[in-house]
Amino acid sequence: MKIQVKKFGKILTSRPAGRDAALTIKAYITPGTKDIIELDFSEVISVGPSWLDEVLTFLRNEHGKDKVICLPTNNPSVNEALKVIDSTKDTAGER
Amino acid sequence: MKTKTKEHILDFIRVSRQARPIELVQSLGISPQAIHRHLKSLVVDGMIESREKPPTTYYVLADIPHFDGALNWFQSKSDPGPFSEVCETRDVLSARLSHFVPLQKRGLSQNDLPLVISMAGELGNNSFDHNLGQWHDVPGCWFEFQITRQRLWILIADRGQGIYGSLSKVFPDITNEQTAIEKAFKETISGRFPEQRGNGLKFVTGIILKKANRGIACVSGKGKIQYGNLGNNCAEVLKTVSNKKVGTITLIAWGME
Repeated sequence: MKIQVKKFGKILTSRPAGRDAALTIKAYITPGTKDIIELDFSEVISVGPSWLDEVLTFLRNEHGKDKVICLPTNNPSVNEALKVIDSTKDTAGER
Repeated sequence: MKTKTKEHILDFIRVSRQARPIELVQSLGISPQAIHRHLKSLVVDGMIESREKPPTTYYVLADIPHFDGALNWFQSKSDPGPFSEVCETRDVLSARLSHFVPLQKRGLSQNDLPLVISMAGELGNNSFDHNLGQWHDVPGCWFEFQITRQRLWILIADRGQGIYGSLSKVFPDITNEQTAIEKAFKETISGRFPEQRGNGLKFVTGIILKKANRGIACVSGKGKIQYGNLGNNCAEVLKTVSNKKVGTITLIAWGME
Protein backbone atom coordinates (compact mmCIF):
# COMPACT_ATOMS: atom_id res chain seq x y z
CA MET A 1 0.00 0.00 0.00
CA LYS A 2 1.56 3.25 -1.12
CA ILE A 3 1.01 6.43 0.92
CA GLN A 4 1.63 9.66 -0.96
CA VAL A 5 3.10 11.82 1.78
CA LYS A 6 2.58 15.03 -0.24
CA LYS A 7 -1.12 14.71 0.50
CA PHE A 8 -0.33 15.64 4.11
CA GLY A 9 1.53 18.77 3.05
CA LYS A 10 4.74 19.69 1.29
CA ILE A 11 6.50 21.01 4.39
CA LEU A 12 6.19 18.60 7.31
CA THR A 13 8.11 19.44 10.44
CA SER A 14 6.09 19.26 13.67
CA ARG A 15 5.30 16.32 15.94
CA PRO A 16 1.59 17.16 16.31
CA ALA A 17 1.25 17.18 12.50
CA GLY A 18 3.12 13.86 12.32
CA ARG A 19 0.91 12.31 14.96
CA ASP A 20 -2.16 13.53 13.09
CA ALA A 21 -0.87 12.10 9.82
CA ALA A 22 -0.12 8.73 11.46
CA LEU A 23 -3.65 8.49 12.85
CA THR A 24 -5.09 9.38 9.46
CA ILE A 25 -2.95 6.77 7.70
CA LYS A 26 -4.07 4.21 10.26
CA ALA A 27 -7.70 4.95 9.37
CA TYR A 28 -6.97 4.13 5.70
CA ILE A 29 -5.36 0.77 6.42
CA THR A 30 -7.51 -2.32 6.69
CA PRO A 31 -6.97 -3.85 10.15
CA GLY A 32 -4.85 -7.00 10.03
CA THR A 33 -3.55 -6.29 6.54
CA LYS A 34 -0.26 -7.94 5.60
CA ASP A 35 0.50 -5.40 2.88
CA ILE A 36 3.71 -3.44 3.16
CA ILE A 37 3.09 0.24 3.83
CA GLU A 38 5.28 2.35 1.54
CA LEU A 39 5.77 6.05 2.24
CA ASP A 40 6.33 7.92 -1.03
CA PHE A 41 7.98 11.33 -0.52
CA SER A 42 7.90 12.52 -4.12
CA GLU A 43 7.01 16.23 -4.48
CA VAL A 44 7.46 16.83 -0.75
CA ILE A 45 9.66 19.89 -0.14
CA SER A 46 10.92 19.16 3.36
CA VAL A 47 10.44 16.70 6.20
CA GLY A 48 11.74 17.09 9.74
CA PRO A 49 12.83 14.20 11.97
CA SER A 50 10.10 15.04 14.49
CA TRP A 51 7.32 14.62 11.93
CA LEU A 52 8.84 11.47 10.46
CA ASP A 53 9.57 9.96 13.87
CA GLU A 54 5.92 10.35 14.90
CA VAL A 55 4.70 8.67 11.70
CA LEU A 56 7.22 5.84 11.60
CA THR A 57 7.12 5.02 15.32
CA PHE A 58 3.33 4.90 15.33
CA LEU A 59 2.99 2.81 12.16
CA ARG A 60 5.85 0.47 13.04
CA ASN A 61 4.38 -0.17 16.48
CA GLU A 62 1.09 -1.05 14.81
CA HIS A 63 2.37 -3.11 11.89
CA GLY A 64 5.99 -4.06 12.64
CA LYS A 65 9.23 -2.43 11.49
CA ASP A 66 9.56 -4.53 8.34
CA LYS A 67 6.06 -3.66 7.17
CA VAL A 68 6.59 0.10 7.03
CA ILE A 69 9.20 1.42 4.61
CA CYS A 70 10.23 4.74 3.13
CA LEU A 71 10.63 4.58 -0.64
CA PRO A 72 14.01 5.80 -1.91
CA THR A 73 14.09 9.54 -2.43
CA ASN A 74 16.57 12.26 -3.40
CA ASN A 75 15.14 14.59 -0.78
CA PRO A 76 18.07 15.16 1.63
CA SER A 77 15.79 16.14 4.53
CA VAL A 78 14.10 12.73 4.39
CA ASN A 79 17.39 10.86 4.17
CA GLU A 80 19.02 12.83 7.01
CA ALA A 81 15.93 12.47 9.20
CA LEU A 82 15.88 8.72 8.61
CA LYS A 83 19.54 8.42 9.61
CA VAL A 84 18.92 10.20 12.92
CA ILE A 85 15.74 8.25 13.67
CA ASP A 86 17.31 4.90 12.88
CA SER A 87 20.44 5.64 14.92
CA THR A 88 18.28 6.69 17.87
CA LYS A 89 16.14 3.57 17.69
CA ASP A 90 19.20 1.33 17.27
CA THR A 91 20.82 2.89 20.33
CA ALA A 92 17.60 2.51 22.33
CA GLY A 93 17.48 -1.15 21.30
CA GLU A 94 21.01 -1.74 22.54
CA ARG A 95 20.26 -0.48 26.02
CA MET B 1 44.63 46.50 -2.00
CA LYS B 2 43.08 48.82 0.55
CA THR B 3 43.88 52.53 0.25
CA LYS B 4 43.60 55.00 3.10
CA THR B 5 40.25 56.26 1.75
CA LYS B 6 38.93 52.72 1.58
CA GLU B 7 40.07 52.19 5.18
CA HIS B 8 38.17 55.33 6.19
CA ILE B 9 35.06 54.13 4.39
CA LEU B 10 35.28 50.74 6.14
CA ASP B 11 35.83 52.42 9.52
CA PHE B 12 32.80 54.64 8.96
CA ILE B 13 30.60 51.66 8.08
CA ARG B 14 32.02 49.63 10.98
CA VAL B 15 31.10 52.35 13.48
CA SER B 16 27.73 53.39 12.05
CA ARG B 17 26.94 49.82 10.81
CA GLN B 18 25.68 51.18 7.49
CA ALA B 19 26.35 54.14 5.24
CA ARG B 20 24.76 55.90 2.31
CA PRO B 21 27.12 57.39 -0.28
CA ILE B 22 26.03 60.93 0.58
CA GLU B 23 26.95 60.36 4.22
CA LEU B 24 30.42 59.25 3.19
CA VAL B 25 30.81 62.26 0.90
CA GLN B 26 29.93 64.58 3.79
CA SER B 27 32.00 62.75 6.37
CA LEU B 28 35.17 62.16 4.33
CA GLY B 29 35.04 65.37 2.29
CA ILE B 30 35.75 63.83 -1.09
CA SER B 31 33.79 63.88 -4.31
CA PRO B 32 30.71 61.68 -4.90
CA GLN B 33 32.45 60.20 -7.95
CA ALA B 34 35.43 59.11 -5.88
CA ILE B 35 33.19 57.66 -3.15
CA HIS B 36 31.22 55.64 -5.69
CA ARG B 37 34.44 54.38 -7.28
CA HIS B 38 35.80 53.22 -3.90
CA LEU B 39 32.47 51.66 -2.91
CA LYS B 40 32.33 49.72 -6.17
CA SER B 41 35.86 48.48 -5.62
CA LEU B 42 35.11 47.42 -2.01
CA VAL B 43 32.05 45.49 -3.22
CA VAL B 44 34.17 43.70 -5.85
CA ASP B 45 36.75 42.88 -3.16
CA GLY B 46 34.00 41.33 -1.03
CA MET B 47 34.51 43.79 1.85
CA ILE B 48 31.08 45.43 1.73
CA GLU B 49 27.73 44.82 0.09
CA SER B 50 24.92 47.07 -1.04
CA ARG B 51 21.38 46.95 0.24
CA GLU B 52 18.26 48.25 -1.50
CA LYS B 53 18.03 49.87 -4.90
CA PRO B 54 18.87 53.50 -5.81
CA PRO B 55 18.12 56.10 -4.62
CA THR B 56 17.95 54.49 -1.15
CA THR B 57 21.02 52.28 -1.57
CA TYR B 58 23.20 51.93 1.50
CA TYR B 59 26.27 49.84 2.24
CA VAL B 60 27.08 47.43 5.06
CA LEU B 61 30.05 45.22 5.89
CA ALA B 62 29.86 42.01 3.87
CA ASP B 63 28.28 38.90 5.33
CA ILE B 64 27.30 40.43 8.65
CA PRO B 65 23.59 40.23 9.46
CA HIS B 66 21.70 42.75 11.57
CA PHE B 67 19.35 41.17 14.04
CA ASP B 68 18.98 44.12 16.40
CA GLY B 69 15.20 43.74 16.58
CA ALA B 70 15.45 40.10 17.60
CA LEU B 71 18.23 40.72 20.12
CA ASN B 72 16.29 43.56 21.76
CA TRP B 73 13.12 41.46 21.85
CA PHE B 74 14.95 38.51 23.38
CA GLN B 75 16.71 40.57 26.04
CA SER B 76 13.82 42.80 26.99
CA LYS B 77 13.30 42.61 30.76
CA SER B 78 9.53 42.82 30.42
CA ASP B 79 6.95 41.91 27.77
CA PRO B 80 8.40 43.51 24.62
CA GLY B 81 4.97 43.85 22.99
CA PRO B 82 3.79 42.60 19.61
CA PHE B 83 6.20 42.13 16.69
CA SER B 84 5.39 40.80 13.24
CA GLU B 85 8.42 38.47 13.37
CA VAL B 86 6.94 36.56 16.31
CA CYS B 87 5.05 33.37 15.47
CA GLU B 88 2.57 33.20 18.30
CA THR B 89 1.40 29.71 17.39
CA ARG B 90 2.91 26.69 15.73
CA ASP B 91 0.61 27.16 12.73
CA VAL B 92 2.07 30.58 12.01
CA LEU B 93 5.58 29.15 12.17
CA SER B 94 4.64 26.30 9.80
CA ALA B 95 3.22 28.76 7.29
CA ARG B 96 6.31 30.98 7.44
CA LEU B 97 8.67 28.09 6.76
CA SER B 98 7.43 28.25 3.17
CA HIS B 99 9.05 31.72 2.90
CA PHE B 100 12.34 29.89 2.30
CA VAL B 101 11.10 28.48 -1.01
CA PRO B 102 11.55 31.70 -3.08
CA LEU B 103 15.16 31.91 -1.87
CA GLN B 104 16.08 29.46 -4.60
CA LYS B 105 15.98 32.45 -6.94
CA ARG B 106 18.53 34.19 -4.72
CA GLY B 107 21.08 31.40 -4.61
CA LEU B 108 19.79 28.78 -2.18
CA SER B 109 20.34 25.47 -3.95
CA GLN B 110 17.59 22.93 -4.57
CA ASN B 111 19.49 20.44 -2.41
CA ASP B 112 19.90 22.86 0.49
CA LEU B 113 16.29 24.08 0.62
CA PRO B 114 14.83 20.92 2.27
CA LEU B 115 17.61 20.89 4.88
CA VAL B 116 17.24 24.58 5.72
CA ILE B 117 13.49 24.23 6.17
CA SER B 118 13.72 21.09 8.29
CA MET B 119 16.37 22.65 10.57
CA ALA B 120 14.39 25.85 11.05
CA GLY B 121 11.27 23.76 11.62
CA GLU B 122 12.99 21.67 14.30
CA LEU B 123 14.31 24.70 16.15
CA GLY B 124 11.04 26.63 15.90
CA ASN B 125 8.89 23.68 16.91
CA ASN B 126 11.18 23.09 19.91
CA SER B 127 10.08 26.48 21.21
CA PHE B 128 6.50 25.24 21.31
CA ASP B 129 7.22 21.64 22.36
CA HIS B 130 9.19 22.67 25.43
CA ASN B 131 7.49 25.88 26.50
CA LEU B 132 3.76 25.32 26.25
CA GLY B 133 2.43 26.56 29.57
CA GLN B 134 5.93 27.69 30.54
CA TRP B 135 6.36 30.96 28.62
CA HIS B 136 8.07 33.69 30.59
CA ASP B 137 5.72 36.29 29.14
CA VAL B 138 5.30 36.26 25.33
CA PRO B 139 4.19 32.96 23.77
CA GLY B 140 5.77 31.83 20.53
CA CYS B 141 9.09 32.29 18.80
CA TRP B 142 10.85 35.02 16.86
CA PHE B 143 11.55 33.71 13.34
CA GLU B 144 13.64 35.77 10.97
CA PHE B 145 16.09 35.18 8.18
CA GLN B 146 18.40 37.45 6.23
CA ILE B 147 20.60 37.02 3.18
CA THR B 148 24.00 38.65 3.05
CA ARG B 149 26.53 38.41 0.23
CA GLN B 150 27.18 34.67 0.40
CA ARG B 151 25.21 33.50 3.41
CA LEU B 152 21.72 32.80 4.64
CA TRP B 153 21.20 33.59 8.32
CA ILE B 154 18.31 32.11 10.30
CA LEU B 155 17.48 33.32 13.79
CA ILE B 156 14.99 31.66 16.10
CA ALA B 157 14.43 32.85 19.65
CA ASP B 158 11.88 32.36 22.38
CA ARG B 159 11.10 33.79 25.79
CA GLY B 160 10.47 30.42 27.37
CA GLN B 161 12.00 28.43 30.20
CA GLY B 162 15.33 27.78 28.45
CA ILE B 163 17.05 24.45 27.81
CA TYR B 164 18.21 23.99 31.41
CA GLY B 165 14.70 24.74 32.67
CA SER B 166 13.29 22.04 30.41
CA LEU B 167 15.90 19.32 30.98
CA SER B 168 16.66 19.77 34.68
CA LYS B 169 13.13 18.75 35.66
CA VAL B 170 13.62 15.34 34.07
CA PHE B 171 17.37 14.92 34.57
CA PRO B 172 18.29 16.15 38.07
CA ASP B 173 21.94 15.27 37.42
CA ILE B 174 22.11 18.16 34.95
CA THR B 175 23.09 20.90 37.36
CA ASN B 176 23.98 23.86 35.18
CA GLU B 177 23.01 25.62 31.96
CA GLN B 178 26.23 24.83 30.10
CA THR B 179 25.89 21.08 30.62
CA ALA B 180 22.22 21.26 29.63
CA ILE B 181 22.85 23.00 26.31
CA GLU B 182 25.77 20.71 25.42
CA LYS B 183 23.76 17.57 26.13
CA ALA B 184 20.77 18.94 24.21
CA PHE B 185 22.82 19.36 21.04
CA LYS B 186 24.90 16.20 21.29
CA GLU B 187 22.72 13.54 22.90
CA THR B 188 19.29 12.08 22.35
CA ILE B 189 17.73 13.73 25.33
CA SER B 190 14.42 15.51 25.93
CA GLY B 191 12.56 17.34 28.66
CA ARG B 192 9.36 15.70 27.41
CA PHE B 193 9.80 12.46 29.39
CA PRO B 194 8.39 9.81 29.06
CA GLU B 195 7.89 10.56 25.37
CA GLN B 196 10.63 9.11 23.17
CA ARG B 197 12.00 12.32 21.72
CA GLY B 198 15.18 14.29 21.63
CA ASN B 199 16.71 13.80 18.19
CA GLY B 200 15.90 17.23 16.72
CA LEU B 201 18.97 19.16 17.83
CA LYS B 202 21.20 16.19 17.04
CA PHE B 203 19.74 16.29 13.53
CA VAL B 204 20.49 20.01 13.25
CA THR B 205 24.07 19.59 14.51
CA GLY B 206 24.67 16.72 12.08
CA ILE B 207 23.59 18.81 9.10
CA ILE B 208 25.67 21.81 10.19
CA LEU B 209 28.80 19.69 10.55
CA LYS B 210 28.30 18.02 7.19
CA LYS B 211 29.80 20.89 5.17
CA ALA B 212 32.43 23.53 5.85
CA ASN B 213 30.34 26.59 5.01
CA ARG B 214 27.81 26.18 7.81
CA GLY B 215 27.61 27.12 11.45
CA ILE B 216 25.33 27.45 14.44
CA ALA B 217 25.45 29.20 17.81
CA CYS B 218 22.93 28.96 20.60
CA VAL B 219 22.61 30.79 23.91
CA SER B 220 20.28 29.68 26.69
CA GLY B 221 20.84 31.33 30.06
CA LYS B 222 24.55 31.09 30.82
CA GLY B 223 24.91 28.12 28.46
CA LYS B 224 26.46 28.67 25.05
CA ILE B 225 27.46 26.39 22.19
CA GLN B 226 28.75 26.85 18.68
CA TYR B 227 29.38 24.27 16.00
CA GLY B 228 30.61 24.31 12.43
CA ASN B 229 33.12 26.51 10.64
CA LEU B 230 30.74 29.49 10.69
CA GLY B 231 29.81 28.91 14.33
CA ASN B 232 32.17 31.65 15.38
CA ASN B 233 30.46 34.12 13.02
CA CYS B 234 27.13 33.23 14.62
CA ALA B 235 28.53 33.54 18.14
CA GLU B 236 29.90 36.97 17.21
CA VAL B 237 26.38 38.15 16.32
CA LEU B 238 25.02 36.77 19.60
CA LYS B 239 27.89 38.07 21.73
CA THR B 240 25.80 40.94 23.09
CA VAL B 241 23.29 38.51 24.58
CA SER B 242 23.77 38.88 28.30
CA ASN B 243 23.25 36.05 30.72
CA LYS B 244 19.61 35.86 31.57
CA LYS B 245 17.32 33.38 33.13
CA VAL B 246 14.79 32.96 30.36
CA GLY B 247 14.64 31.86 26.78
CA THR B 248 16.80 30.39 24.07
CA ILE B 249 18.24 32.10 21.01
CA THR B 250 19.78 30.25 18.07
CA LEU B 251 21.47 31.56 14.94
CA ILE B 252 22.39 29.50 11.89
CA ALA B 253 24.75 30.66 9.14
CA TRP B 254 24.45 28.81 5.85
CA GLY B 255 26.88 29.37 3.01
CA MET B 256 25.17 29.72 -0.34
CA GLU B 257 26.93 28.24 -3.34
